[in-house]
Amino acid sequence: MNEDLKKTLLNPIFKGNPITVLVLGICSSLAVTVQLKGALVMALSVIIVTGLSSLVVSLLRNSIPNRVRIIVQLVVVAMMVILVDQVLKAYAYAIDKQLSVYIGLIITNCIVMGRIEAFALGNKPIPSLLDGLANGAGYGMILVIVAFFRELLGSGTLLGFRVLPESYVPNNLVILPPMALILLGCIVWVQRAVQKDLQEK
Amino acid sequence: MNTNSNVYTIVYTTIIVVVAAAILAIAAMALKPKQDANIKAETISQMLAAAGFSSKEDLAKLGNDQVLKMYSDNVKTAFLIDAKGDKIGELETEAGNIELQDNLKQENKNIAAGDPQLPVYVFTKDGSEINVIPIYGAGLWGPIWGYIAFNASCTEIVGAYFDHESETPGLGAKIKDEAWFREQFKGQTVNFSKPDDSFNIVKGGAPKDDKSAVDAITGATMTCNGLDAALDTWFKAYMPFLQKKAGAEGVDEDCCGGDCCGGDCEGGDCEGGHQHEHNHNHQEG
Repeated sequence: MNEDLKKTLLNPIFKGNPITVLVLGICSSLAVTVQLKGALVMALSVIIVTGLSSLVVSLLRNSIPNRVRIIVQLVVVAMMVILVDQVLKAYAYAIDKQLSVYIGLIITNCIVMGRIEAFALGNKPIPSLLDGLANGAGYGMILVIVAFFRELLGSGTLLGFRVLPESYVPNNLVILPPMALILLGCIVWVQRAVQKDLQEK
Repeated sequence: MNTNSNVYTIVYTTIIVVVAAAILAIAAMALKPKQDANIKAETISQMLAAAGFSSKEDLAKLGNDQVLKMYSDNVKTAFLIDAKGDKIGELETEAGNIELQDNLKQENKNIAAGDPQLPVYVFTKDGSEINVIPIYGAGLWGPIWGYIAFNASCTEIVGAYFDHESETPGLGAKIKDEAWFREQFKGQTVNFSKPDDSFNIVKGGAPKDDKSAVDAITGATMTCNGLDAALDTWFKAYMPFLQKKAGAEGVDEDCCGGDCCGGDCEGGDCEGGHQHEHNHNHQEG
């Protein structure tokens, strides 16, 4: 794999992570991280939506009229999101109910439109697809890390299986959205401590 | 080619939108049977949860087929009633082709028009009957609905389950998420003497001596008001049926107070006996 593609693929996951560095997609990352299972499905959905939307927009990029490009992008993104929602309703109904409005709200997730505007409009289809997938993965990774701690400490379970002994009293604060924000803050802290060039002066 | 001309822009956006609509239409049609099966199983599991056969969480782990089987195994009969509370039709309960009257939105309109076909699902649990009826109404953002389970004589609520389409997570959505909210309904009654306001969800806490009221949810005033209105509307529509049931069981209960509650006590009579015993205990306590 050449250097450019590698950078496209790895940058969004670590150095340019959409949540911890670009601070996009915070809302849904607070809402769907109570349980690991929900977070995994949400992560997968976002990866698919960002990847396919970037690919389609990149294929259309030379033909899109500049004045209505945001609308055309929105049509593409909305179509992907509805497709994902329909498939989930058919094959993972319980999880779709649990994620409720947040699947639909992927449309408004800044990561999707942000990557289309910043990358897919000016790059070839394959790098655009990889960029979309990688940004979705970067988002998903943070989601899964946060959900791991929230389900472990908030319910004493992982993916629904009991991990901590029955004697563990679940910490209800961890289930509430503010704790997700605090956990996110801790992840940002750890990341900036390791990657010193991210630190602002 | 000039991609900025008006004609190009209009033609281009039209094509994009038509193509997107076609893809979505095909996907929706292809997935519809599977989605409908899921929705049916979900509706049934809400009834089973309301009737207390299992918790909603456990039911969610079962496959659709198992949920349908559980329904068929436990349901005694399901039928439709009209506005006067008279039976006007049966609903199939065999596992293969379960019929539900689940277009609650339409029935909600029919109630307003005075010509509803309301479903009653009768389950058998621990030897006694449980009557489950639906309710439906408007929440803050979208429809809310639920299932209320009554005892055999329809004089006491034994369980409830609520669901919603798009209430605010963490606030209005608590009608579904918070177990304490639906637990409150257990042991409550429908106030037959006030048909227009037969049940209340009270902000700031329900009075302890009011058997037809439960506490509202903090921060979910609009959703609770909607649920209150939905309960009042649907209880009123079911009122003739509920009263008939209560009246009929009352006779049985008197009978059991006498000496006809002997060895061949079956079905409704047994329930009457149970009721009697319950009252007796209550007096002792």
